[in-house]
Amino acid sequence: MEEKIRIEDLPGPKSKEELDEMKIPYEEFCKKIFDPGNEFSKPQALKGIRWMSCTMYIFTPHSVANLAELGAEVVKIEMPRMGDPMRHTSPFNEVYLYPLHDTRPTVGTGLGYTNANPNKYFITMDYHRPEMKEVFYRLVKISDGLTECYRPGTFDRWKQSYRYLQEINPRFIYVWGGGFGYGPKIFGGSYDILGQAHAGLASITGMPEFMGGYPVKHTNWAMDWYSGTLITFAILAALYWRRKTGLGTMIEFSQVQAATRILGYGVPLYGRFGIVRQRWGNWDTQLCVHGIILCGKSDYPDADNPQDREETRYVMVSAFQDADFKALCEVIGNKELYKKYKTHKDRVEAEAQVEIYAALERWAADKSRSEVVRILQDAGILAEPVKNMREVYESEHLRQRGTIRWLDDPTFGDVLVQGGYSTGLMSKTPRRVNWLWRPVGADNIKIYHEMLGYPLSTIKEWYEKAWI
Amino acid sequence: MEKGEVEITSRIDSLKLIDPMIRPWPVTPPPSREEVKKIYAKRNAEEFGQWCEDNLSFETSFDKPEALQGVTVLVIGLWRMGSKFASSLLAEAGAEVIYIEPPTGDPMRYLTPFGREEYMLEDKKTGEKCGLDFIHEMRNKYSITLNIESEEGREIYKKLVSQADIVIEEYPPGYMDSLGIGYRQLSKLYPRLIYCWIGERGQWGPDKDKVSKWGQWMLEPFGQCYNGFVNNTGFPADQLPRGRGGDPTRSGVWFADYVAGEQAAVNILAALYWREEVSGEGQFIEVTAAEALLDILDMDLTWYGFNQSIKARTGSWDPNLNQYAWNPCKDGYMMIGGQSDRLWYRIGMCIEKDYPQFGRLICEDPKLKAVAARNALEALIKTYTLTSRWLRDLNRLEAEQKLLEYDIAAGPLLFIDEVCEFPHFKYRPWVYTTESEEYGTILYSVPPTNFQVRTPHRVKWLGRRLGRDNYEVYQKIGLGQTEVDELKGKGVI
Repeated sequence: MEEKIRIEDLPGPKSKEELDEMKIPYEEFCKKIFDPGNEFSKPQALKGIRWMSCTMYIFTPHSVANLAELGAEVVKIEMPRMGDPMRHTSPFNEVYLYPLHDTRPTVGTGLGYTNANPNKYFITMDYHRPEMKEVFYRLVKISDGLTECYRPGTFDRWKQSYRYLQEINPRFIYVWGGGFGYGPKIFGGSYDILGQAHAGLASITGMPEFMGGYPVKHTNWAMDWYSGTLITFAILAALYWRRKTGLGTMIEFSQVQAATRILGYGVPLYGRFGIVRQRWGNWDTQLCVHGIILCGKSDYPDADNPQDREETRYVMVSAFQDADFKALCEVIGNKELYKKYKTHKDRVEAEAQVEIYAALERWAADKSRSEVVRILQDAGILAEPVKNMREVYESEHLRQRGTIRWLDDPTFGDVLVQGGYSTGLMSKTPRRVNWLWRPVGADNIKIYHEMLGYPLSTIKEWYEKAWI
Repeated sequence: MEKGEVEITSRIDSLKLIDPMIRPWPVTPPPSREEVKKIYAKRNAEEFGQWCEDNLSFETSFDKPEALQGVTVLVIGLWRMGSKFASSLLAEAGAEVIYIEPPTGDPMRYLTPFGREEYMLEDKKTGEKCGLDFIHEMRNKYSITLNIESEEGREIYKKLVSQADIVIEEYPPGYMDSLGIGYRQLSKLYPRLIYCWIGERGQWGPDKDKVSKWGQWMLEPFGQCYNGFVNNTGFPADQLPRGRGGDPTRSGVWFADYVAGEQAAVNILAALYWREEVSGEGQFIEVTAAEALLDILDMDLTWYGFNQSIKARTGSWDPNLNQYAWNPCKDGYMMIGGQSDRLWYRIGMCIEKDYPQFGRLICEDPKLKAVAARNALEALIKTYTLTSRWLRDLNRLEAEQKLLEYDIAAGPLLFIDEVCEFPHFKYRPWVYTTESEEYGTILYSVPPTNFQVRTPHRVKWLGRRLGRDNYEVYQKIGLGQTEVDELKGKGVI
């Protein structure tokens, strides 16, 4: 008898709706499938994972924040009454959200804390107290893993390093994140900026000396954040492996090393040829034209804010392929330049780059940023303005994609956020932000009583003794 | 000069490292285990230090299993670093990664700084040259060629996808869809497929990725320019003149691409976990350089939302933290950090020993006494002026030694040769050599996720000749050697 093949078993669209979906324009399809703004009606990828966050500053908190955005339940443990030092950090000491803690209503948490701790539950614990050891172990027994950032050996001294914890929970995934790890500089402390300075990244960022420049720090705590995400990656890989074997692991992650990882050709170039890569400012060492130029006029000469008035003068121009470069030379009325540097190999040479960018800036000297962008774009060349934070906020593109949005935070009301939503769109398990953060110890009852079962009177006693 | 004779105490010494007579790396041997044991002993951590060396060290990593064994990844994209970095991370963790290039190769193979062909590496067998950026990011990956613009090529591509768990794609928006091999079509064929698109700004929306009239792609630093990063990086015009360093500044590397790549890898593994643990379904992921970097710009956007402050450039200083900067010293720049009272005063005690004015001025200025007040601009200027005055007479290593005695997080700003020769970095090691069949011995950056008890991530090989794995990979979808050769003749492979 001939076997009947059901239409549902064949590849391809199976209903009229699915057929229609195949026909709509691609952009509409993307918008429909990602559906920004509707994240909360979809499942979360890491639901059911529980993580302990014994973290401070940005680097290690961010490694756990990624998990929390993906749906893991994260318990952040802070010092009683003080909290993470990052709570006392704010740009020019300006911006705080209140309160820090229920006993200190006139002290707030600084905006420095933003984005590194969304969706976490906040408890406090003084690890030094032997009385709290059992509480800590109870949490370990019901969690999947922990991230900590104390100086090497500290958690070991307190009998809560991986050596001890793997005995009570063999599935436990333990992460230490810090500056250096085992070795001669084991006890060296570290910050984002040390990673940038020490690992070579600063030596290749900024204007070269012949332009008058110095090594420049990547703005923000770029290396902290970037390294934190690499930890998240390692955690997820370890979780995948644990599904097969049932065994956890310990990850020792040095933030200073993470910056060395992205030096690209810098390391092999030194290794083979002894050549030490230097800074090359706003141009590209491997492509030309592919750099940022200064225009003569600002886009908002009458604006009050000097950031708008003085700084909106830079354009990123890219025309490295022959046809693009030819068109660019025509637009700026300098066909000689094209004749001189017809091949990419000719124009990417250092001296050629100096001459070409100088010619571009001469041409742009009597124009505003938007004029330069418009003229080049009209000619079919890639050119875009360098945006400031106000322009990012006003970007229609980012708003439509749901990348930046106002959050009605349960504690602080309206706050503008981008973290989580801008890390990538996922069609079935999108990331989300439930809250920006909560006050120090806000979830003590929830965790110690409702999760671990300690009586309320005990918790009150700990609280009064400042153990929590 | 002999190897081992060079002792690096200042920049002048490190210039000797360029001498071909004393290389290859390392010029001086790393510290011995015995010396390092003494360092552990200083804090009574001998036992813990020993445990770390036994369980976490680089040397043991090749003895251990790989976390993502059995996961297959296809990568298809050109030019950019995003898909390359994302797939490197997966490959270092043990996934099988197949890198698909057009028969002419990824244009990044042919990029080299300032067009210098002498700094490309030559394939020992074919004599073809390949750029170092490409080689360094081609980690544990197989290379095959395929022309997806031909009908036959697209059919082959679909068969390849049937064998994969994950596809990472980095072509201009809608290009793969228009060929009938985008997520929309493939997900109907393979509902378990996890498909990730990576780009600069997006495959949809008013400012989606563009190509020029002549087909040139949008590459980094377009991503950095879109989210405020470039505007906020660099010295302000009142610290250095505009056009002479006082301008918005791009990262020296394609930084936004790297950030997009790592977030793509995170999202991919989360989707894989959800597929295996919960649903059995794949999904569509989109990560862009502009947005992934925007995610990590601290509080800048939230600050704008609070009081319309537009973040300005502050050079190598930080408006949130004092001390937290690098400042010029005798032979370069020295980074010093310490914000809390405990650390800040310790920095003061260290400086005071050589330069008593530092201590005196603190006593006279109440604004320098409280942690938050030290972040005001005038407090930053005062602190750093005094610190730089102290640093003026010191080499970086001298300053480092003095500060480490006080347990301060401090370190010299190192050039790449000094990075490679730094004792701690060599000891672990953070740069190491590998032998490539094609290109000989290559110095590379070790994955920072290498130091693990059970499943360390590692580099097994670097670089790959274009199409070297054609026969092996195509055999797995039923194309024999003869057929592959025929398809090659027709320009399909």
